[in-house]
Amino acid sequence: MHLPKILGIAALLICLSGCATPPPADDPDAVADFEQINDPLEPMNRVTFDFNLWLDDNVLAPAARVYRYVTPAFFRKRVADLVANLKSPLLFANDVLEGNVSRAGVTLSRFVLNSTFGVAGIMDVATPMGLPAHEADLGTTLAVWGVGEGPYLVLPLFGPSNPRDAAGLAAESFLDPLSYYLADNHMRWVSTTRFLVGGLSQREEYLDTIEDIKRTSLDYYSALRSLKRQSRDALIRDAKEGKWKTQDPRNQP
Amino acid sequence: MRSFIKATATLAVALFLALPARADHTPEEAQSFIQNLANQAISTVAGRQISDAERNDRFRKLFVSAFDLPAISQFVLARYWRSASPEQQQEFVKLFEDMQVLNWAQRFKDYHGESLQVLSSAKDGDKGFTVDSQLNRPSAGPMPVVWKVHQAEDGKIRVTDIVVEGVSMSITQRSDYNSLLQANGGKFDELLKALQTKIDQMRANG
Repeated sequence: MHLPKILGIAALLICLSGCATPPPADDPDAVADFEQINDPLEPMNRVTFDFNLWLDDNVLAPAARVYRYVTPAFFRKRVADLVANLKSPLLFANDVLEGNVSRAGVTLSRFVLNSTFGVAGIMDVATPMGLPAHEADLGTTLAVWGVGEGPYLVLPLFGPSNPRDAAGLAAESFLDPLSYYLADNHMRWVSTTRFLVGGLSQREEYLDTIEDIKRTSLDYYSALRSLKRQSRDALIRDAKEGKWKTQDPRNQP
Repeated sequence: MRSFIKATATLAVALFLALPARADHTPEEAQSFIQNLANQAISTVAGRQISDAERNDRFRKLFVSAFDLPAISQFVLARYWRSASPEQQQEFVKLFEDMQVLNWAQRFKDYHGESLQVLSSAKDGDKGFTVDSQLNRPSAGPMPVVWKVHQAEDGKIRVTDIVVEGVSMSITQRSDYNSLLQANGGKFDELLKALQTKIDQMRANG
């Protein structure tokens, strides 16, 4: 089998063009830092990061600001709820794959309630009823199954990630039950629209957060890398525990 | 007999002095400390009805008394803290304080009716506590916020870290500052310079 050999050469080639130099082994503090940061591809990642930043500064963020300017908050909330509801079948699949029975039950109930009483998903009526949303994707599912994250990887357009989550992202486009249904019924444009509108809606939600990180960090790249990995870890911890309730005691049954 | 009484009295005084200024704190104390801090911040610095300078001043007082800046600085700089001179350490704590005050004052300026609801607290290590809370926002769902507090050297409860949706402020800053130091060959003065530049920028844009 030539695959391991090819992979080895590929890794070497990537490394020749963009690997960070590991610190000398006699400096244990520096070695610990290097491993904790988990970014051996940093030079290459920074190039991709700069491209993403350029794209964001010139296209995505301005589009999100226009979207915020021309629409009322109520409308944007309806859009975000609708997009989230359209992702429910995929979320349900991941809940099941993660073995989170109660989470799957919540997702199913939310989908039924929001698609009916929530007028085809534009109103999240389930959350005030004590069924709050949670997050899961194929990346968290792979993590629950014990797949390690691998080195930090900045993807073009999609941003901070790692090989595991990137594989999850790619596979999700094949796994999404709704995408299949839509493709079978000649409604692929719905999938595309969901992707575009979802991206715009999400970017708008993060406008202030991203601005805050840029404003307060000395090295935006490093700050974002740390933030992203921490929040991903937290999401995976929650997925492993199957946690779905908010902490508010008023929401506890 | 007299000398015995004197000796006993001396011993009693000595024992009294040797006792810690106050007994160890309880999780409940940590919990009410955070609730008070949040209430105070929202009632005194939030919103746009006061000037930027006034907001900065008020927030600085609150921040310096409620946060353990030397402990946070040590954690954030990790091994670089130990290799810095006392003057550099002092300068860092000062700049770090300025920067945090400007950061938080700006966030409180954009206040939109959020409120902090403290939920529970637990012991965390020897002298530490974690306080679970959530930020209730009018425009979005509640956001989980975990506070790490400990008994500072002067015996008071002080904050060492804030963890928002699983993201620790201190760990993020540690990663940020360490990478800047690393890129500059570990030169501490370069970090101080970068902090000063950032602070000037924030003042100019404030």
